[in-house]
Amino acid sequence: MRFLLTLLAVTLPGAALAQSQVALTSDVLVERTTTDASGTARTSLEAPGIVTPGDKLVFVLSYRNNAAAPATDFVVTNPIPESVGYMGSDSAGAVLSVDGGRTWGQLAALSVRNADGTSRPATLADVTHVRWRMAQPIPAGGRGELRFRGVVK
Amino acid sequence: MNMMTRFGVAASIFAVAVGTATPASAAGTTAGSTITNNVTVNFQVGGVSQNSVSASNSFTVDRKVNFTVAEDGTATTQVSPGQLAAVTSFIVTNTSNAPLDFALAATNRSGGTAEHGGTDNFDVSNLKLYQDTNNNGTYDSGTDTLITFLDQVAADASVRVFVLADVPLGRSTGDVAGVRLTGTASEATAAGSLGATVTQTAGANTAGVDTVFADTNAGGNTARDGIHFDEDDYTIFAANLTATKTSRVISDPLNGTTNPKLIPGAVVEYCISVSNASGSATAANVAISDNLPAQTTYDSSFGVKVNGTVTSGTCNADGAIAGSHASGVVSGTIPSVVAGDVRTVLFRVTIN
Repeated sequence: MRFLLTLLAVTLPGAALAQSQVALTSDVLVERTTTDASGTARTSLEAPGIVTPGDKLVFVLSYRNNAAAPATDFVVTNPIPESVGYMGSDSAGAVLSVDGGRTWGQLAALSVRNADGTSRPATLADVTHVRWRMAQPIPAGGRGELRFRGVVK
Repeated sequence: MNMMTRFGVAASIFAVAVGTATPASAAGTTAGSTITNNVTVNFQVGGVSQNSVSASNSFTVDRKVNFTVAEDGTATTQVSPGQLAAVTSFIVTNTSNAPLDFALAATNRSGGTAEHGGTDNFDVSNLKLYQDTNNNGTYDSGTDTLITFLDQVAADASVRVFVLADVPLGRSTGDVAGVRLTGTASEATAAGSLGATVTQTAGANTAGVDTVFADTNAGGNTARDGIHFDEDDYTIFAANLTATKTSRVISDPLNGTTNPKLIPGAVVEYCISVSNASGSATAANVAISDNLPAQTTYDSSFGVKVNGTVTSGTCNADGAIAGSHASGVVSGTIPSVVAGDVRTVLFRVTIN
């Protein structure tokens, strides 16, 4: 019985803290380019209605510090979904991983090991994770948005 | 769909993507897959690491119906007049992100410029479709299966389809018959039977898997109609034969072979020459038969010489004895007359 109570004590704090801290949402938009009668191409971002392979996606990550104190060492990590190809970040400061999150850096500094032991420079297609590490604390009540692009494989 | 969850600090920030998304192929993520994005925030408040916060959202990948029907090869199919089961081949490729059936139809082109040039000026008949069951690129009678549709073609898969057609007699070299193979996207509902024609999802996006046509307008097709076709053609390559019959007197009973005259008892040699115009197909097994005039008697000692040659318009006394005579009819078969060549059948008669 004592053992069970200990287990509960471990799991409860997560729920207890739920009302405060940071609010986070992930949204995805589909970028559509339409050409009007005059031949002018217009690009718009739409909610993901009909989505098929090859469609361009914009992932929008929104955060808000609901705590009374500033949040420091604020790190946003987003694994790239399996069926999405990473196409770049619209938000500055993105660092990438091509090895499942073990090592991080700018794409040009990353490499991928080939089956034969040699390595090659990493490409966008190799990106497995994108991460932002905020240099400045997020003040109480502060909010922000991060965006990265992908394509449906 | 948006979700926000909270994990304990101990939870891995490198959360593995959740969902049913399947590995991508050239045709793309399989229709019906769910793409889920997960994002995690780690942070400190007052210098103390707090529980990480995660959020996710998901959407369903819809069905993109795209496929091509394309001629296999780049040249016309050369045929002879009267040829049966002449073959043209096409490849149907499913570039949709879902398996599909394809209804197939082979039709004659009516007029206009055919796929490989030339004007379509005749129709082939008895069009049939066969699937290249053993996928060797060649029609194999008895092996490849007669079909009217393609069953359960997987995403990214290609199937070769042969169109077999009969060529009418009486056509000349350069005559062209265009054929078209049309595929219509159909539901791969059940193996062994053609599913219903695929329709696009009308109106707004639904939560489930919607269908979008993505086929192109290449080669005269209509874009995004779920139908695709390509054409190929048959071009006639025929022999162009001309037969000429000449005769000369060999001897008569009074003058012998010196200036013989056409008197009773005279021996006359007939030469039937068959010429094939240059640029034509080789004629094989050219059968000649000739009814002897009633006033003549076949010379069995000379026989019927076949496959002789002609020099400067004069039949040479060559060829091999290969023909026959029966009931006043002389017959001989010349094995082969190539383009630009002349071959003969020679025989002799005696004037009664």
